[in-house]
Amino acid sequence: MITVNGKQIEWEENLTVDRVLKTMNYSFPKIVVRVNGKVVEQKMWSAYKVPNDAEVQAHHLIAGG
Amino acid sequence: MSGVVEKMRASRKVLAEYNYEPAQIERGYAGKTLYINLSNKNIISKDVTQQMKDIFIGGKGFGLWYLWNAVKPDTKWNDPENEIIISPGPISGITQYPGSGKSLVVTLSPLTDSIMDSNVGGFFGPYFKFSGWDALEIQGKADKDVVVFIDGDNGRVTIEEVDLDPSASHLLSDQLTELMAESEQGRKNVSVVSSGSGAEHTRIGVLNFSFYDLRRKAARLKQAGRGGIGTVFRDKKLAALVVKFSGLSGKSNNPADPAKIARTGVKITREINKFDDTQFRMRQIGTANLMTPMNDYDLLPVHNFKYGSHKDAVGISSEVLRSRFTQKMPDGCWVGCALSCCKAVDDFVPKTGPFKGEKVIVDGPEYENAAGLGANCGIFDADYVIEANFYCDTYGIDTISTGTIIAFIMECYEKGIVNKKITGGLELNFGNAEAAMELIHQMGQGRGFGNIAGQGVRRLKKIFAEEYGGDPAFMQDIGMENKGLEYSQYQAKESLAQQGGYALTNKGPQHDEAWLIFMDMVNNQLPTFEKKAEALHYFPMFRTWFGLQGLCKLPWNDIIPESNATSESPEKIPEHVQNYVDIFNAVTGKSIDQDEMIRQSERVYNFQRVFNLRMGFGTRKHDAAPYRGLGPVTEEEYESRQERYDKQLKEDVGINPEGMSTAEKVAAMRSYRQGRYETLIDVVYKRRGWNENGVPKLEHLKELGIDFPEVVEVVKKHL
Ligand code: SF4
Repeated sequence: MITVNGKQIEWEENLTVDRVLKTMNYSFPKIVVRVNGKVVEQKMWSAYKVPNDAEVQAHHLIAGG
Repeated sequence: MSGVVEKMRASRKVLAEYNYEPAQIERGYAGKTLYINLSNKNIISKDVTQQMKDIFIGGKGFGLWYLWNAVKPDTKWNDPENEIIISPGPISGITQYPGSGKSLVVTLSPLTDSIMDSNVGGFFGPYFKFSGWDALEIQGKADKDVVVFIDGDNGRVTIEEVDLDPSASHLLSDQLTELMAESEQGRKNVSVVSSGSGAEHTRIGVLNFSFYDLRRKAARLKQAGRGGIGTVFRDKKLAALVVKFSGLSGKSNNPADPAKIARTGVKITREINKFDDTQFRMRQIGTANLMTPMNDYDLLPVHNFKYGSHKDAVGISSEVLRSRFTQKMPDGCWVGCALSCCKAVDDFVPKTGPFKGEKVIVDGPEYENAAGLGANCGIFDADYVIEANFYCDTYGIDTISTGTIIAFIMECYEKGIVNKKITGGLELNFGNAEAAMELIHQMGQGRGFGNIAGQGVRRLKKIFAEEYGGDPAFMQDIGMENKGLEYSQYQAKESLAQQGGYALTNKGPQHDEAWLIFMDMVNNQLPTFEKKAEALHYFPMFRTWFGLQGLCKLPWNDIIPESNATSESPEKIPEHVQNYVDIFNAVTGKSIDQDEMIRQSERVYNFQRVFNLRMGFGTRKHDAAPYRGLGPVTEEEYESRQERYDKQLKEDVGINPEGMSTAEKVAAMRSYRQGRYETLIDVVYKRRGWNENGVPKLEHLKELGIDFPEVVEVVKKHL
């Protein structure tokens, strides 16, 4: 299991940041991702392996009204 | 000069005149207020006191203070003593930092019967200040349409009768600009405030503030949109306010430390140039950039806020709207705004109404217009949205309220509460663009069912119940208004914090106090009631501050500095908050910090809450939200998101939904969500220093330094 923005989702082998965002339906183009507190740059999302039990924060940079 | 303008010039009749020596601006303040009484045509200058500057700062603060002194607890919006106050604020008018040309307008609202405030761009506020005035107080009522001219170049204010047609704001703004300017080049030195025929026939009239566009050779418009301020304006028989000031320079605001302002401005302008194209693309799309993500995240209001997305929303997506903007250069509503979010559709040819077949310029559409007039009414057609946007602006009616009103009527129509006979033949089903457009014309021209629709959702609920037998409880649930003001266009069912951001407000559900949906619902940064309450304290206070200074909110968080990636509280954009503190200090010569900044707002915010109390509002019952804003009202709504709601019942409420009917599930969900909303109110009130009924505690007012005897007297009655 990993936690994404406080919600638990299943962990699997070779789980990438890209895959996590897809599972969460996070399609917004400007998201800052932190895995266990460390920022993972967007260019690394398809390669970076999210470890089991990780805490992922996907902070949407959206300003709104 | 055009024939119309020549005729206007020849018809000018001065009813009152006031000559003055324009005050020198000192550190952002002129030190004077212009008071105009339209009943007796009295024009005087009032001093702005040090206490006003210390406690109320400017902008909305000045507006509230003058209004407080002008009205009595039983004053109605259309009584002569009601005032319209326009005040730009001390920072307004600087040209070195983006978003620094706003004005704040305050009045008693025909929708809420209480205090309304609205933040608006355009050139009027800065030009008015540089003409020697910190605030404009308009009281009384004229018996015939009048125009107030403020000539800041020559120190002359006049109230005049002019032969004009006040029904179409875009034409009137152009004509009065031409009339007041000495040359074509000089038109950029003129700004007009006007409304339109819709403001005469509805309670949702807006004020259009113009900014002259040299490239297009036309006056463009920005709106003080919410709460019917334009309706008050036309009720006073004001056709327009016109200001002229020709001496604008980077030094006009005469700040204490111009170099610091310049440094801070250069820093953020660099950020905008570097990041905007890859962040929110405000220069390319403006706020319409929100259309696509709102639909993707189930937050776009669809069918009177029933749903948060729609398969046809692609028809009015960010990219579709972008493709319709004809402007190829970034465009701002005040000088020096590098974020330049203003967009326009040139040479648009309306298919209906008084301008059918003519080429017009449409300012927008912005997110709220496309979401409200379009998606919320089930109309996913960009042409419709652009045309509806144009007519709302030129008739002088609020696009946000119009969208929410039509969406409400459409749901009532589909439920059989109103029918074709009542609507005068309009088939107001969701998605019927033709009928919706006709209804806008009727509202704008004071015809047929438009006269009823223009009363706003609160009054419609009453009319539909009393005259057509509509179920009051059902309409209470689906009528998206709070305090009498229509909701703005975000679907907040899944964000408890935003539900509070809408309904726990001073003026009603406009998202300018707090926009917490992503922080709360998606990023999960506010998991506890205490965190939500902290956000519902901090953000409304922080955002109130823009209204004290004459600032635009957009350059705060629609551009993100690099430092934010490593910030402890990225949602606050700390670097930009510090920019604002620096600019305030550099303008005024004061030395405030971020805590004092929030304190400044808290004083005014709490004063406004007490003012609401004084007018018979401002307690807990006025902070109630329609259930459509909190959760699924109907079985159809529940079933459309069944998986989500069933999961919530199971995991959050602790009820197993298996075997329950949809009606039972709707009821269980309602009890849970309403309970949480009440808890939220308790925690927010506590954080704001209010008692359980939402009344500011005396010790809190004392601590803020606003325990004036007349304030204490009001509060004591509620303790
Ligand atoms: S960001 Fe847009 S609305 Fe704000 S001041 Fe600039 S141009 Fe005007």
